[in-house]
Amino acid sequence: MSAPVIGFAGMTHLGINSAAAAVGRGFRTVCYDSDASLIAGLAAGRLPVVEPDLPAVLQAGAGRIRYTAVLDDLAACDVVYIAADVPTDDRGGSDLVGIGGLIDAVAAHLGPTALLVVLCQVPPGFTRRIRVPDERLFYQVETLVFGRAVERALNPERIIIGCAEPARGLPPAYRQFLAAFDCPLLPMRYESAELAKIAINCCLVASVTVANTLAELSERIGADWSEIAPALKLDRRIGAHAYLAPGLGLAGGNLERDLATVARLAEETGSEAGLIRSFMMNSRHRRDWVLRTLHAEVLGRQPEAVIGVLGLAYKENTHSTKNSPALALIRHLAPWRLRVHDPVVSADAARHPRTTACATALEAANGADALAIMTPWPQFRELTAHDLARALRGRVVIDPYRVLDGASINAAGLDYFTLGTGAARAAREGPSHA
Amino acid sequence: MLEHLNDAPARPSRVVVIGAGGFVGGAITHRLAAADIEVLALTRRELDLLSDGAAARLAQMLRPADSVVLVSAIAPVKTVPMLMENLRMAEAACRALAQHPVSHVVYISSDAVYADDANPVTESSPCAPSTLHGMMHAARELMLKSATAAPVAMLRPTLIYGAADPHNGYGPNRFRRQAERGEPIAIFGEGEEQRDHVLVEDVAQLAVLLLERRSRGALNAVTGVSTSFHDIARLIAAQFGNRVEVKSVPRPGPRPHLLHRFFDVTQRLKAFPDFHATALAAGLELARRGAPRQATHG
Repeated sequence: MSAPVIGFAGMTHLGINSAAAAVGRGFRTVCYDSDASLIAGLAAGRLPVVEPDLPAVLQAGAGRIRYTAVLDDLAACDVVYIAADVPTDDRGGSDLVGIGGLIDAVAAHLGPTALLVVLCQVPPGFTRRIRVPDERLFYQVETLVFGRAVERALNPERIIIGCAEPARGLPPAYRQFLAAFDCPLLPMRYESAELAKIAINCCLVASVTVANTLAELSERIGADWSEIAPALKLDRRIGAHAYLAPGLGLAGGNLERDLATVARLAEETGSEAGLIRSFMMNSRHRRDWVLRTLHAEVLGRQPEAVIGVLGLAYKENTHSTKNSPALALIRHLAPWRLRVHDPVVSADAARHPRTTACATALEAANGADALAIMTPWPQFRELTAHDLARALRGRVVIDPYRVLDGASINAAGLDYFTLGTGAARAAREGPSHA
Repeated sequence: MLEHLNDAPARPSRVVVIGAGGFVGGAITHRLAAADIEVLALTRRELDLLSDGAAARLAQMLRPADSVVLVSAIAPVKTVPMLMENLRMAEAACRALAQHPVSHVVYISSDAVYADDANPVTESSPCAPSTLHGMMHAARELMLKSATAAPVAMLRPTLIYGAADPHNGYGPNRFRRQAERGEPIAIFGEGEEQRDHVLVEDVAQLAVLLLERRSRGALNAVTGVSTSFHDIARLIAAQFGNRVEVKSVPRPGPRPHLLHRFFDVTQRLKAFPDFHATALAAGLELARRGAPRQATHG
């Protein structure tokens, strides 16, 4: 049997990176999106997303990719993935109108034996309601991690596949494609696969929430969470890859979407889900840690304070600002002047009338009374404590993710605030950096 | 959650303060006058909400553009008859507001509406009062919201202190008066319970801010810093040159179930970023001098 041709409908972050993985594994791939200008850009090598290795993988497989805005071109595919964005509202609820329309449009152009695979995040029960013959319809759990999307798409730990009837086995074309990823394949019923995706995220959220809860306690009792987390990772029941780094709530929108889905399903079915509501509450509480620290250290005393903000993206190595802690912070800094820098995201995203866009991280610190490092971009590690002390007007460095070395910051005469341990204040008789 | 219906602060055309003769009502009236906002200050002399015809008399005084601050209460509520009297007072106010709609209502409530174990307390904490006093405020909040189409803001102060406090409850006011008389400051047990204490002028300022933004929803009037009674006693003793003793006395009853109470002030930081609560030491000093705090907030 010749290698199947793989289609992707929806050139989203998920779609582009998943297509890159298919190409990277040697398959001919058709990339469809109804946005002709997006398709033209992709064909010209202009990527709308930032991911490590993505340009190189696409470039290396350029001869196997076809970009198209014509639905008929998907008729040549043996397997077509639906990779639409599923937007969420303020409460984390999914808007399924767009994906429903895309599925209908693609289904009408499939070849007679082609398979349709829903790859985007949908609530349990969604796939079984799709009007495509169920022997040709599948749901596949995506495990996209922004900033590591290509690596994870090329080398998944396992692939979870939702089927109408798992006992039937997978069709040959689909099996051949998935076998190229050389990992365990886990077929299960649609609803189990849809819930498995949510279960994975709930477990991650549980770890993050434990870390955030105990990190806050560490800050108040003289402990340091960064000393504790490695000890936990050596416990086999917890594991070396456990998500134990404290953060500013749950980053990104997908985790919150899953929590909202579980809460809704629990409400509809009478299941007890108090734990899920606690996850949400803790996330909202920790998201405002920088705001509280700024008020306590600077804003309560200095009506004319200038705040330097480093990073607008919701995490490093991505352009995405959805649920960005930086933007959430900036929304509540209206009375003060800001100096903002992000390596990828434009300062316009701040939507703050008193923002100065800065070309470099050090420029954002210049003349500021406090500096908040809101995204742990690797390039921010290049800032030296000495340069910061010279640039800042004030003494406050807020670095939730420990991008900088707190001891060096203190040694340069600056106060250092990070998640998981108490304030580290510089000795005031230390060096002067006027 | 708190929502501002005015995008920017705007001076209310007139504020009717019901309960202007009390400790908190007086402070609000004073702060409004200092801000040059027209006030109709109603003490019990002008309007006794328990008297016959009170609702009709209040309705006659109200104008559609008015903002109303309801602070009148018989507090603290310790008995069922007191609870019922307070509800009847609120009923009269509700009837007047239903008859004569106004622009905005601010109700001075209490943190007693929250469950005892809601630590740290936020405005989203469940309202589950464990006392008649808390139940009274929770009921009045609901009564007002159901009686009027006007937006209702509920300001929920924690323990209030200030120079003019007529109560002599356990805490800063009693400690200060004991020190003024040269008596030992008596703390129960080790005085280890940590509570948030807010200066009455800060409560008044928050009420004014709610009025200016025509806010709707709940806001806690707290500092965000909880201090043990022992440390408060030591602060006050220090203000009197440490000439008074801080003395442990046996508790009048069992140690309180609510040992500590902390507040998370994040919503206030977002709603009123320019407002900064008076730190306890500074507030105690102002209370000792007996001077109302000067307006310093935007």
